[in-house]
Amino acid sequence: MMSTLATILPAMLGDATGPTFWMPEAASSVAGEIDWILEFINVISYIFFFIIVFALVYLAVKYRRDPERKQISGDGPTHNMTLELTWTIIPTLIVLVIFWVGMVGYIDLRESPDDSYEVGVFAQKWQWTFSHPEYGVTEGGELTVPLGRPVRVIMTSADVLHAFFVPAFRVKQDIVPGRYSTLWFEATKPGSYQLYCAEYCGKDHSKMLATVRVLPEDEFQDAMGKLAREYEDLPDADLPRYALVRLYNRCSSCHSLDGSTGTAPSFKGLWDRTTGGSTVFTDGSSLKDHMGSGGEYEVPENYIRESILNPGKYVVENFTNVMPNNFASQLKPRQIEALVLMMKHMDELVDEDGNIIEPPETEEPKESAMTETTGDGG
Amino acid sequence: MSQLEIQPDSHGTDHGHDHDHPDHLGHHWENSKQQFEAGKLGMWLFLATEVLLFGGLFVAYSVWRGNHPEIFQYGSQFLDTFWGALNTGVLLVSSMTMAMAVTFAARGNRKGIVICLVLTLMGAAGFMVIKYIEYSHKFHEGFLPGFSFYEEPSASHLWLPLEQEHDQDVAHSTLETEAHNTAFAHETTARDEMPLPPPTAEPSVVPAAGTGPEGLTTNELALETAEFAVFLPPSVIGNLENQGPELDFAEHHEPGEEPHLPHPLQDPDRPPNAQKFFTIYFLMTGLHGIHVIIGGFVILWLLLLTLRGRFSRGYYTPVDLGGLYWHIVDVIWIFLFPLFYLI
Amino acid sequence: MTTLDTGQMQKPDLAPRDNYLTHTRGAWSWLFTLDHKRIGIMYLVCVLSAFFVAGIFALLVRTQLLTPEGTIMGQDDYNQAFTLHGAIMVFLVIIPSIPAALGNFVLPIMLGAKDVAFPRLNLFSFWLWVSGALFFVLALVSGGLDTGWTFYTPYSTDPNSAMGGMIPAVTGAFVLGFSSIFTGMNFIVTIHRLRPPGMTWFRMPLFLWGIYATAILQVMATPVLGITLALLAVERAFGIGIFNPELGGDPVLYQHFFWFYSHPAVYIMILPGMAIISDLIAVHSHRHIFGYKFIAYSSIAIALFSFLVWGHHMFTSGQSPLVNVIFSAITFSVAIPSAIKVFNWLATMYKGSISWNTPMLYAMGFIFIFTIGGLTGLHLGTLATDIHLHDTYFVVAHFHYVMMGSALIAMIGGLHHWWPKITGKMYNENWGRFAFALVFIGFNVTFFTQFMLGSQGMPRRYATYPADAGFQIYHVISSIGSYILAVGFFVTAGYLLQSMFGGRRAPANPWGGRSLEWQCSSPPPHDNFSETPTVGDCYDFSVLEWNEDEQGYVWRSDIPHPGEEEPGGH
Repeated sequence: MMSTLATILPAMLGDATGPTFWMPEAASSVAGEIDWILEFINVISYIFFFIIVFALVYLAVKYRRDPERKQISGDGPTHNMTLELTWTIIPTLIVLVIFWVGMVGYIDLRESPDDSYEVGVFAQKWQWTFSHPEYGVTEGGELTVPLGRPVRVIMTSADVLHAFFVPAFRVKQDIVPGRYSTLWFEATKPGSYQLYCAEYCGKDHSKMLATVRVLPEDEFQDAMGKLAREYEDLPDADLPRYALVRLYNRCSSCHSLDGSTGTAPSFKGLWDRTTGGSTVFTDGSSLKDHMGSGGEYEVPENYIRESILNPGKYVVENFTNVMPNNFASQLKPRQIEALVLMMKHMDELVDEDGNIIEPPETEEPKESAMTETTGDGG
Repeated sequence: MSQLEIQPDSHGTDHGHDHDHPDHLGHHWENSKQQFEAGKLGMWLFLATEVLLFGGLFVAYSVWRGNHPEIFQYGSQFLDTFWGALNTGVLLVSSMTMAMAVTFAARGNRKGIVICLVLTLMGAAGFMVIKYIEYSHKFHEGFLPGFSFYEEPSASHLWLPLEQEHDQDVAHSTLETEAHNTAFAHETTARDEMPLPPPTAEPSVVPAAGTGPEGLTTNELALETAEFAVFLPPSVIGNLENQGPELDFAEHHEPGEEPHLPHPLQDPDRPPNAQKFFTIYFLMTGLHGIHVIIGGFVILWLLLLTLRGRFSRGYYTPVDLGGLYWHIVDVIWIFLFPLFYLI
Repeated sequence: MTTLDTGQMQKPDLAPRDNYLTHTRGAWSWLFTLDHKRIGIMYLVCVLSAFFVAGIFALLVRTQLLTPEGTIMGQDDYNQAFTLHGAIMVFLVIIPSIPAALGNFVLPIMLGAKDVAFPRLNLFSFWLWVSGALFFVLALVSGGLDTGWTFYTPYSTDPNSAMGGMIPAVTGAFVLGFSSIFTGMNFIVTIHRLRPPGMTWFRMPLFLWGIYATAILQVMATPVLGITLALLAVERAFGIGIFNPELGGDPVLYQHFFWFYSHPAVYIMILPGMAIISDLIAVHSHRHIFGYKFIAYSSIAIALFSFLVWGHHMFTSGQSPLVNVIFSAITFSVAIPSAIKVFNWLATMYKGSISWNTPMLYAMGFIFIFTIGGLTGLHLGTLATDIHLHDTYFVVAHFHYVMMGSALIAMIGGLHHWWPKITGKMYNENWGRFAFALVFIGFNVTFFTQFMLGSQGMPRRYATYPADAGFQIYHVISSIGSYILAVGFFVTAGYLLQSMFGGRRAPANPWGGRSLEWQCSSPPPHDNFSETPTVGDCYDFSVLEWNEDEQGYVWRSDIPHPGEEEPGGH
């Protein structure tokens, strides 16, 4: 505990928004208040802790029985009303103060300002989808928010409980299926911050991560503009890479790139398996049976498309279908096209170990921005 | 307080009071009175846990009713107040005979105990017979809890193998399947786990043509789908809703107590999730029914003990405690009856 | 029937030939015994076995978290490991540990009764425990269990999400709940109806007060858990929709139901621990307990308050802010009685004559750990900070400090305290102190680091974690601590087992306790007291003195004791 205090005091005196011994980096308008309350309770705790432990050790040593002296000594008071009342009333007053401080801080956490920028959050096992109704833009894996503007997050879940938790903002709220829950924050420092799912949601709970990217207002507008247009403007040749960088993160918790099988088949070699028709389904049929002219899928592209939109139709052998089947409403046609192309060109995009191969030509600014943001998590 | 009256230990050497029979007195008790009072306290505690057990369901009932009053208004129409009231009467009478049995036991009148216990037992049996009539009627009509509710009433087409249904119903569009996968994943699961059809089943009693996937009327499907609007693409919902109702199969249920009510599955005005009324109904009355059965066995056991002459004026604790248990079973029904049948 | 004179301490080497261990022989005489002492022993063996299993799962969890990408398991296996660790520890270990195992053994003797009120019910409770445990085994073989011990809906009720062992596990918890209810009922009636003459409420040792408060909670809270779990099983099996939002149900209602039981359950775990500590501190300080009535009433107060605070587990689950504020306020009220107890224990040590025996070390360790556990409760009861700390390792650390560091440490302290009474053998004191040091250091290293982990933002129930968030160093320290802790427990098991075969024969009263269990021989005779024992102030130690021959405490020769005139006395 001594070392605790030794660490914490300089941290408290130093940069108020940097990480301290107890708290991570503070990047929202409420963080300062929350940290102050935490420190306040900490100080009270230290005082009580030291009183109690000091008394404990002191009494244990001072009144330790002489091993030779076996006689019972039973003197000392057995009760003292004044003392009892003192140590009943003083803690009562202290916890009342703590309660009050905590309540005020909580109200600040809950009451979002009227002019908040609204973001929709759609949580499902085990991925995040963020929508910006104002711009008609949807993001996955990364939530872009403006700096210095209150952001109100409206959340719902497709399946089980999830929770939206950004430690740097000191906010957390459960996301309950069948209803909407909200929270708000105002980011005060540009940068990228880790977003966690904090309510246990099953197998890949610990991979249900995302990043909150805080951008100054003008950059934010640019980013939104780019997001709104990006797949419309892109030349077809860039679509596979776009899908890999922008869309794949919604698939990544189940579909690997390096051939390892998790919850779902790997994307590695998927195109070969599809064109070869070697995939076998749970109903015993193989893809070959459904392919070709006259078959259900005239070209392999159709099978991939169908698998994205209606994943339960054919389930690959040894897997169960846990994939959400609402991508039809989440993806624009051109994005689906991009995904199909991504499968087709997977070999050019990733190496044997599933690492993304950098494009040979000079990087476009958009992509450099993307790699930059995935680089540092909050 | 009892401990002030505790006699000196009489263990081993039996020269205690005349009613101090070592037969029924546990070795750790000082005297019968202490044992009796302990038994009574224990029973009361047990009854408190019973009340709390049911209390959870009563809270669930209140929450549901508070959230969806329309379901309860709608569902209670299908209960028959006559049978419910009759059962209430039967239980009240049996409670009275049980109380009389305890009184006879206190007086040491063995014949009285036997007569009253037999009457009580008949009450318990009568209650269960009436319950059986009510339940079997509901099962027959398809007023079932949970997913089973969506199955066709009394229809052996329920037991249709999946392939056969697919053959008949070629009109399943991809989108329907899609919707069904999302919204009715549970139903599918429940259905898949159902036992195979009995070989003698007649698949043609009720034509399946009027129903959507999994025995739901398409109208029903639309109602349900509305609740999943969040999770479904608009195209799917539109497609489902545009199919229109196809309620062309006739009312075929027995002319019973509620002939004027359309069957829920055919009733376009049925509130969504109407099956929840039957869920809570079966849960609460079912749990109560289990308690009645347990009570019946307790009474039977008391009867056997009485016939063997185990009770006397000095020792009739089991009769007293059994009586307490029976009264609480009765009291719980007194609450259930108005909650489901009357309001 | 035999008997030693119950009035006072035995003469040296007069080992009781007929005690409860030797009274009858054969496995049958144990498995279907009605003797509360044997039932207590069977509970003890079973609970400690379950503790071993759940401890292995804990070590697996800690090992997994050594590296950010996970060390030994996949996600599914990890989820099963922490679920089973939690579920077994809570339902099979901590809840029955003190009341059912130690309580069964000690309570009737302490009270001066020959048995609990309903011995058959007591045996039935034990077998319910066994069947509950078997249901958990069934859950393991029928698909596993990965819901977390809280069984939150809709995850647990969705057949596509949670694993197949859900229904057996829930059934097991239901059965265990009734085991707990019957134990509680038995104890309440025993304390009400089987007190011998002279044993007034305020002469009862504080352990009995704690067990009594616990029993009230067991009887009043557990039925709600029972019906909740029943609903959960029915929901999963038949899709009744009570908790399923797709069918108009309310998943948050489940949380209300669950915590209405499970918050009192937290006190079912900690109250008996506090009760043991009250007696341990007094006996080993050889000093009258300070503030008897305040400690006794604070147990009852905690029991009552604990029914009103369940909502503080749900501050982020979407309750209305007003409800949160109210629950936060009531939550703080529970802090007061806990603080009162701590201060009274310290005051008891003042001017005592403190023997640093192993049980006393555990008691002092308890005060240290419980202080941290209680104070960090302030951070979590405070709304503003709980929002950040909820569902992080801060919560994990907090409840381990309370449930494991306090409740289980108290149980182990109590086990050492009554070990001579239970087995009739003394364990090796030096090994005891050494193992305590390992357990104490290991525990604090393991769990104190988790406070930092949590407040830095590490969410709980994560099989892997971001490598760049700075969590790994804490996880490594924590895992090392857990290994130290495990070694400590193995050493404890080793010397305790060794003492049963090679230990010195225990005197009737090795510590100088005055409550009634120290008046009968070690181990006690079959029916505890052949004569009604004499009851005095169970915290007045001035009438005892050390007897070198007996290596134990006896009634002072210069003071006539109240049983003197009784026939069969000295």
